[in-house]
Amino acid sequence: MSPRAALGDLEQAVMDHLWSAQEAAGPGWAGVSVREVHDVLGPRRDLAYTTLMTVLDRLAKKGLAERERDGRAWRYRAAASRDRLTAEALRTTLDPLAGDDRRAALLHFLDRSTPEELDDLRAALAELEQRRAERA
Amino acid sequence: MGSPPTGAPLAAGLLLLLLLLAVVLAGPGPRLMAAQHRFRSAPGPALLVWQAVTTAAVLAAVLTGAVGVRLILDGGTTPARVAVAVPAVLVGAGTLALLLLSGHRVGTRLRAARRRHRDLVDVLATPDGRGGPERPGDLRVLDHPTPTAYCVPGLRRRVVLTRGTLERLAAEELDAVLAHERAHLDSRHDLVLEYFTVVHEAVPARVRSEAALREVRLLVEALADRVAARRAGPLPLARALVALAGSAHPEATLGAGPTTAAGAAAVRLELLDRSAPRARVAVMLGFAVGVLAVPLVLAALAWSAAGSAG
Repeated sequence: MSPRAALGDLEQAVMDHLWSAQEAAGPGWAGVSVREVHDVLGPRRDLAYTTLMTVLDRLAKKGLAERERDGRAWRYRAAASRDRLTAEALRTTLDPLAGDDRRAALLHFLDRSTPEELDDLRAALAELEQRRAERA
Repeated sequence: MGSPPTGAPLAAGLLLLLLLLAVVLAGPGPRLMAAQHRFRSAPGPALLVWQAVTTAAVLAAVLTGAVGVRLILDGGTTPARVAVAVPAVLVGAGTLALLLLSGHRVGTRLRAARRRHRDLVDVLATPDGRGGPERPGDLRVLDHPTPTAYCVPGLRRRVVLTRGTLERLAAEELDAVLAHERAHLDSRHDLVLEYFTVVHEAVPARVRSEAALREVRLLVEALADRVAARRAGPLPLARALVALAGSAHPEATLGAGPTTAAGAAAVRLELLDRSAPRARVAVMLGFAVGVLAVPLVLAALAWSAAGSAG
């Protein structure tokens, strides 16, 4: 695994930890410190404390995690639930109203079709199948 | 009287022609071209023509400014020369400024949206080995029932599918979809589209043609389809198109400004079985060269007229 891929993999593991901790604690949760994350993930994945500090710092800079001062340490929480972030990602790809440029930033396999267009599509596919069968 | 104009009057006439060319190539020309559906059967050459026309429009406007500068520098500031040069310089400098501004805005916007999306996908989606050994780690699967497939272009590229897509497609259909997305990434279609978007947004809204931008987007899709059909077969690709177009999106808001031409999917299906005759491709490539030559020749003539007395 490349260092970058390893880092991406770690970010996912840390986010998963933040989400499950949030779920276990319910609303009004203050978050976890780097130390607490390290106590759980460190032994399991053989990670240094400083590595997790870097990962959490990156997640905060990306706006995926929020942090608050707690004495001399930071306490981290996920900025939004997994479902909300999934919805955000899909809204960008599916919703034509998400703004043309947010959609244009990605290259889609297909834009949405209306029901009438769908009938035409199926007819065109049937024709194509037939033409190919005749040639074969 | 009766002698042909030289110097400033001749340069003024040529500059007017250049300006007219720039305006025609920025709006009415693309509008006419977007209505020519015959050229869709050769999406690659068609995109070359679009790039040539776009670049010719930019050249015509910017070179107008260059000739204006020469009118003053090499002929002095007679009132006749100044009257021609000042508007010409304004046109050239204004075009450059608009292009730079538009390039900055579009580029910043696209890169911010892509970075955000990649950040989301990297913590939400599961890497998938189906990317093949030659492309480890660029395929990601989002755990969601709604079928969709797309790629995030850029240096750290991603191909993204949802669980709904995997459930809906047969293996060979999935191969076709992946080949289509990889064709986008390998040929850097994002840069092709970015160039058109930058020029499009630099042109005043009254002049520019939305139909042209939609047509270019369709051609980019048709080009990726062509690559995918060669790799995975036209039938699996056609079936994948129909399967994914027919997926009911609960959160869909239909009819709200599609990004490609209406019925794009049907058009793409039609094109899978069609190739352009050689003569048509030759005409297109000839046109691309010709349309680039016109502003260069006009500007060269105006340039030499601007340097002569009169």
